[in-house]
Amino acid sequence: MSAPPVTVADTPTGVPTARQVRTHLRRARSRHHDHSLGDVLGDAYVIVLFTGMYGWFAISASRDLLDSPTVGQAEPGVRWWLALAALLAGAGLVWRGLRALGPLLVTPATQSWATSAPVDRRAWLAPRFGMLLVGAAVGTAALGLAVAALGGVTDPAPLGWAAAAGAGWGAAALALSVVAQSSRAGRRWPVVAGAAPMVAAAVLTAGVVFLGYVGDGLPRPATTPTVALFALAVPLAGLGTIRAVRALPRVDRATLTTGAQFANAAATATILLDPSLLAGLVESRRWRRIGRVRSSRFLRGPGWWAFLQADVRRLRRHPSALLLWATLIGVQYAAALALPGLAGAAQVVFAYLAANRLTGGLRSISRSPGLRRALGGSDALLRGIHLVVPAVGAGLWWLLTLPTVEPGPSWLAPTLALGVVAAAFRAGTRPPINYGGATVNTPFGMIPVDLMRQGSRGPALLAGLVLLQLFLG
Amino acid sequence: MVVDALSVRGLSRNFGDLVVLDDVSFTLPAGRIAVVLGPNGSGKTTLLRCVVGADRPDAGEVLVQGRRADETDPQIRALVAAALDDIDFFPDLSVVEHLELVAYAHGSNAEPVEEVLAELGLEPARDQLPVTLSSGQRRRLALASCFVRPRRVLILDEPEQRLDVRGRQWLAERLLRERDAGTAVLLASHDPELIDAVVDERIEIGR
Repeated sequence: MSAPPVTVADTPTGVPTARQVRTHLRRARSRHHDHSLGDVLGDAYVIVLFTGMYGWFAISASRDLLDSPTVGQAEPGVRWWLALAALLAGAGLVWRGLRALGPLLVTPATQSWATSAPVDRRAWLAPRFGMLLVGAAVGTAALGLAVAALGGVTDPAPLGWAAAAGAGWGAAALALSVVAQSSRAGRRWPVVAGAAPMVAAAVLTAGVVFLGYVGDGLPRPATTPTVALFALAVPLAGLGTIRAVRALPRVDRATLTTGAQFANAAATATILLDPSLLAGLVESRRWRRIGRVRSSRFLRGPGWWAFLQADVRRLRRHPSALLLWATLIGVQYAAALALPGLAGAAQVVFAYLAANRLTGGLRSISRSPGLRRALGGSDALLRGIHLVVPAVGAGLWWLLTLPTVEPGPSWLAPTLALGVVAAAFRAGTRPPINYGGATVNTPFGMIPVDLMRQGSRGPALLAGLVLLQLFLG
Repeated sequence: MVVDALSVRGLSRNFGDLVVLDDVSFTLPAGRIAVVLGPNGSGKTTLLRCVVGADRPDAGEVLVQGRRADETDPQIRALVAAALDDIDFFPDLSVVEHLELVAYAHGSNAEPVEEVLAELGLEPARDQLPVTLSSGQRRRLALASCFVRPRRVLILDEPEQRLDVRGRQWLAERLLRERDAGTAVLLASHDPELIDAVVDERIEIGR
């Protein structure tokens, strides 16, 4: 006969502290593997070294490129204002990324076996919050430094202010995103905080493009207000950190574990070099948010006609793909102003990105043999029908951005446009990555050949098109 | 005044325009077993997830022993034990270490761990890592996590899944003992034998 079930005391007494639970967990786990602190520090050193080395190389190469005749001369203020717009758009995207991740998260295992216990939530999350805060400040300081260096700043003092401003805004964003994570569902300010910089970036880009094409363009400010930006960021970061620490006890399981799913998918996608793993999760979340749609019968006709209608319907229910398609038109006009010598190459890349967003149907049928069997018809027919929407989208996009490029040989533009459709088709019909087979030794470790072959399916053709445009355009 | 162990008031959950839970209300006194019934897609799992705080409802509230069930409240986490389908395991901890961890984190001693291991037939697997467990053993480990810690409310989502015949018999007996000890049990199940053996109250949703 088993013992009677354990019951609970009226209040959770005798519960260990968060530190004690963490120590217990760490000791138990360390018994089964031999990762030492030295290993961790060694890995961190290699990451920092490679990031610094390749980062500096990328910055200096980009600076040389911006000053080279290949890129061409832009109006003095155009690059400055467009860089500001890009930073604003980046800030909006980073905010959305932070909100999707949490940014505080616990792994599903930790949630199941440790944080489901009545340990103090603030004490459990505080070390992670501290690490994230420092990481965000350091990362955005490096970003501020890189942006200033790209802009041609070489004096240590302005570089230092740019790094300090970056660190301040990074810390503020991180702290405020934790405050947002702890807020009740449906609060407006986190949405506004993400949308406002992106709207500002769109308005700014539109203004710069409009004035660039019809007027004299916006003048470049005499100085970049990094000191003012730093002065603004410091109180915001301080206040945000205080509020975030106060909010830690209110960060609930729902937001902690949702972010963990994204982080897990992102880590897996990075390790396996397969971004579709993360894209799949993002897509399923998007459809789940929509939940229900208005169903209606397809117009009568042959089978391919129904497939085509379904693909159009898919697009109508996923308006963000269309929004990105339209946004990229503006981005192309801005790129042509800022980097006139690279406008043709930019057109090829952005056309590919625009068309790629319209290949949802193509990706769905290509990844699922079961779905293709259920739909019937040949694979070629199914893929051909699902190429119609991306092809029309790419063609229209190309026509709308024709004024941004110098006309080259008459055969070049149609060739490049068709090449873009072919690249989108190849990327959209990429089969699930096979990690078996032969491997090749690279500076990044052993990588399966098939992974490189499939990973470059689409982008490799795109690279060829860019080279074609650069040499013959 | 007797306070219900669990009280759900006007709980609603939507995914976009899709209404998954629509104004669900019920109460469950201590020492009673309630089974949530409904066809596939009726929102049983969503209801349980909202009750334990794994999901945020759009409207309504959950009370545990008269206290608003906020998952961030340590008292609520001390009262409510749950085994849902989102449980995960540390790949580098053995079966017994998982159970000792959860017992320790709840401030209880490791005494019930050996008993629960024996009761669930996990003793032979006590030193195995999760990746080596069968799906049935993993299910048993998930259930065991609820029984090595104190609780007043027990929430289980289709606990009979992946259990063999003996395991299902054990589950029914265990739930009845939970009831006798004064625990309020809320579970979703599709197993008519288990439901008939343990049910005190039927909560039908999505019909």
